[in-house]
Amino acid sequence: MKNNKTRTYMLMVLPALILFVAFNTIPLITGAFYSLTNYRGYGTYDFVGLRNFADLFQDSRVGKSYLFTFKYAICGTILVNVISLIIAMGLNSKIKFKSTLRGLYFLPNILGGLVVGYIFSFIFTYILPTAAKAAGIGFLSSSILASEKWAWVGVLIVGVWQTVAMNTIIYISGLQTIPGDIYEASSIDGAGRWVTFRKMTLPLLVPFISTNLILSTKNMLMVFDQIMSLTKGGPAQSTESISFLIYKNGMDGGQFGFQSANAVIFFIVIVTFSVVQLKLTNKKEEQL
Amino acid sequence: MSENKHFVPEPIPVRIKKASEIRSDADGKKNIFLTVLLILGCVTILFPLYMTIVIALKSPSEMTNDIAGALSLPKSFSLDNFREAMRVTDFWNSLFNSIVITGASIILSLVIHSMAGYAIGRSMSRHKGFKLIYFYIVSGMFVPFAILMMPLVKETAKLNIDNMFGVILLYVTFYMPMNVMLYSGYLKNVPLALEEAADMDGASTWKTYWKIIFPMMKPMHATVAVLTALGTWNDVMTPLVIMSGSEHTTLPLAQLNFQTQFGTNYNLAFASYLLALIPILIFYIICQKQIIGGIASGAVKG
Amino acid sequence: MNYKKCTALAVSLLTAGLIMMTAGCSSSDKENGKTVVRMLQYKPEAVDAFEEMEKRFNESHNDILLKIESPNEAMTVLKTRLIKEDYPDIVGIGGDINYSNFLDAELFMDISDFEVVSEIKPAYLEIEKAREFIPQEGVYGLPYVANCAGVLYNKDMFAENGWEIPETWTEFITLCEEIKASGNLPLYFGFKDTWTCLAPWNSLAVGLAPADTCSQVNSGNTTFAAEYAETAEKNKKLLEYCEPDPFAYSYNDACTAFARGESAMYVIGSYAVPQILSVNPDMNIDSFPFPANEKEEDNVLNSGVDLLFAVMKETKNKDAVYEVLRFMYEDETIQIYLDNQNAVPCKEGDFTLPSMLDSMKPYIEAGRMADYQDHHYPSEMSVDAMIQTYLMDNSSDSTEKFLSRFDREWKRYNRDLIEKVRKYEEGQQ
Repeated sequence: MKNNKTRTYMLMVLPALILFVAFNTIPLITGAFYSLTNYRGYGTYDFVGLRNFADLFQDSRVGKSYLFTFKYAICGTILVNVISLIIAMGLNSKIKFKSTLRGLYFLPNILGGLVVGYIFSFIFTYILPTAAKAAGIGFLSSSILASEKWAWVGVLIVGVWQTVAMNTIIYISGLQTIPGDIYEASSIDGAGRWVTFRKMTLPLLVPFISTNLILSTKNMLMVFDQIMSLTKGGPAQSTESISFLIYKNGMDGGQFGFQSANAVIFFIVIVTFSVVQLKLTNKKEEQL
Repeated sequence: MSENKHFVPEPIPVRIKKASEIRSDADGKKNIFLTVLLILGCVTILFPLYMTIVIALKSPSEMTNDIAGALSLPKSFSLDNFREAMRVTDFWNSLFNSIVITGASIILSLVIHSMAGYAIGRSMSRHKGFKLIYFYIVSGMFVPFAILMMPLVKETAKLNIDNMFGVILLYVTFYMPMNVMLYSGYLKNVPLALEEAADMDGASTWKTYWKIIFPMMKPMHATVAVLTALGTWNDVMTPLVIMSGSEHTTLPLAQLNFQTQFGTNYNLAFASYLLALIPILIFYIICQKQIIGGIASGAVKG
Repeated sequence: MNYKKCTALAVSLLTAGLIMMTAGCSSSDKENGKTVVRMLQYKPEAVDAFEEMEKRFNESHNDILLKIESPNEAMTVLKTRLIKEDYPDIVGIGGDINYSNFLDAELFMDISDFEVVSEIKPAYLEIEKAREFIPQEGVYGLPYVANCAGVLYNKDMFAENGWEIPETWTEFITLCEEIKASGNLPLYFGFKDTWTCLAPWNSLAVGLAPADTCSQVNSGNTTFAAEYAETAEKNKKLLEYCEPDPFAYSYNDACTAFARGESAMYVIGSYAVPQILSVNPDMNIDSFPFPANEKEEDNVLNSGVDLLFAVMKETKNKDAVYEVLRFMYEDETIQIYLDNQNAVPCKEGDFTLPSMLDSMKPYIEAGRMADYQDHHYPSEMSVDAMIQTYLMDNSSDSTEKFLSRFDREWKRYNRDLIEKVRKYEEGQQ
């Protein structure tokens, strides 16, 4: 009986596994193989052994991109999760114009990169400095996208603005799994809102929080679209993310081999990062 | 891990509250304060949207660099840009292809990923092998697309699926880690009781899944559908590199027409983006209803 | 809508789509008994011209069917075709680093036996030869049209104020001061888009550094620190005459600003003219070569091959391909392209040049031209971003820092190439 069940489970996973091996693992191994070559993406190539990896650790541009990416991802993940949880709880309450508001909060994620890039560049370049000058805020009086020190904040704002929609959806669906009667129970007990939230809502949301943490960490670490549409890595190469370098130099430029090595290392780094994260949230889950 | 555990209310410090303070929405009243707050938050969305619409209605010669000029309404109201954008992108044709690709990716994802998510979610804690598969698949999320791209181009060409079908299969693979994670996470809040009851009745696991579990996961299906659609609808790269040999074009591919190396027609492009936004917005609103109506009506908790 | 209906609709839509997909898309070299010649060209903005050419060719030829593709993101598309080994017969690409890379990957066929080669302006053929990392026998790329870069200026503004086209660096700076004193902005830059940093850089470098700087460096005969110092310093000087904080504004902002008369000049290439005219269709634009030197006769016009044709080695229909190229290089066909795209033809002959190149004409006719220096830079080195970094750097030793970085990174990004060149040169001796 039990064996039978396991066999059925196996069959259920099989289609997914086949696709995954074919279109993720095999190309990944092929790509990893190219990391040992000086392949340009076409034509002939030579083996270079571990030279690409050795270069990688000496390349200051790659090092800088790691710093930028992690700074961005850590701030982004925290902001996205806090904001989307608040919005999800708001949208899940009894409010007016519920459907309209839900639709509106979904919009940022589907506006194309060209639109987002143009509009936010305009806001950062023209509107914000003018407003800041009028209000007498000195450091905002020139475009933050032109500042080596602050451009990453501009990218972060847009990244968070766009990503929040996706995590909000997941939190909304998570809030649906919490039955209404526990609220009733708690309100009978006279629990305050904050206590209800901390003692009731939050523990039940833990699986969704861990999913969202992983997803937003991943989205933030792989930041690419916002950089392409806002800064293209500038000013003064201060917003070059790892994905941006891998794509730009690997695909557009002739560094496919080298950037494959970068991608392999990056992959290992994020997996480690996420496993740690997963372990932590799992522990939380088990504690509750 | 027992699901029932959650529903034993933990000791809560008792605080005496006025009756009116106790969950004002419980008695059907709308929370006006919260509504206002959420509407204020929407300004960050409405303002860019307003700019998009205004630009979509203007002609290139009305574009300026000053704020007043950029925010002003167009001189004359006309839908010419939308008409022209539809012509340039071969709108209906591209729309059809986009819908086929997104639609097929969603349907296949719902079937394949929910099955895998269920099997993994239910046996992960007992069976090391499934746990391994879970981590194996989820780790796929972190593979940078750029490293997969060229090998995939070669592979799909060799398999003769360098067309829409191949793009669909790739999407089903790309969103697998996220979706499997979502499904198996969701199952943690779905009680085992129903399955156990079905087991008692002698129903096969297979049958239990399709008859009981699959319908019960409706809210998650809707969530997965929305998230998969989000990823596929606007994606340029995959169809660009995979289908570059075929005659078919998707909406985002056709929208590249507005950008050349040394010039961009923002007005037409924005009109086109607004048009492309409508189908997915409608889809989202339909799915929202499914997400919300969900579990309360379907399953008995606890 | 109920659940079942939804599913039924979705499934039927899906099947319809899948059936449509399996149909179509097979490429053979014969169709209705005609030899098919497939061309992929990288300028989607010129699609109208190419469609016209395709139509005319197919109407006048019974045995050959020409199919021209003008995809968006053509370089990505072309690279994926190469990976798939689904080669077109002819490619129409720019004379930039991509061409050099493809050439180095031995993808192209020697077409020196093609008679039109002798009708191409020698200046452009030389520019094309210089694209080769390692000198090769034969001709691989056939220049079709070129573009020019220098200084675009607002003709009406110049006429109103009685400003004259400067011929030397000092005259240029004096003019900038004069414009500034009159309350106008001399220049506008869109340095937020890093690639635009290359526009003034290239225009200056053609006049100040030897055309073969990069290959001389590869051979170990000189350094960038020696060749580019003046270019770098003069480039920085220009920042005194542009809008405040040029790094905040994009290419598009700069085009709009120039079109709206916010600046008198704009250091960019002729390729920007359509974007400017889209904002202000009535604008009178002309352009002059950048006066980088103290003597007028030392100045050189920055002009590079914007479109060239190369024949893929894999082609099986050499004769048909030559027939297509012969047609492409007929004067009438070239004029179709020129009328559509404001370009400069690479073939000798009597063509009507676009009016916004009026002040560049003497240089073009005399062949006083040199290629964009950045066509030699590997794109992964991101020289544009390095220049942007340099221009933003306000420290006193910024030029030395920039130039030594240039030399250092050049060696790293071109390591394999330099090795190849040295080996080749040793073999020559």
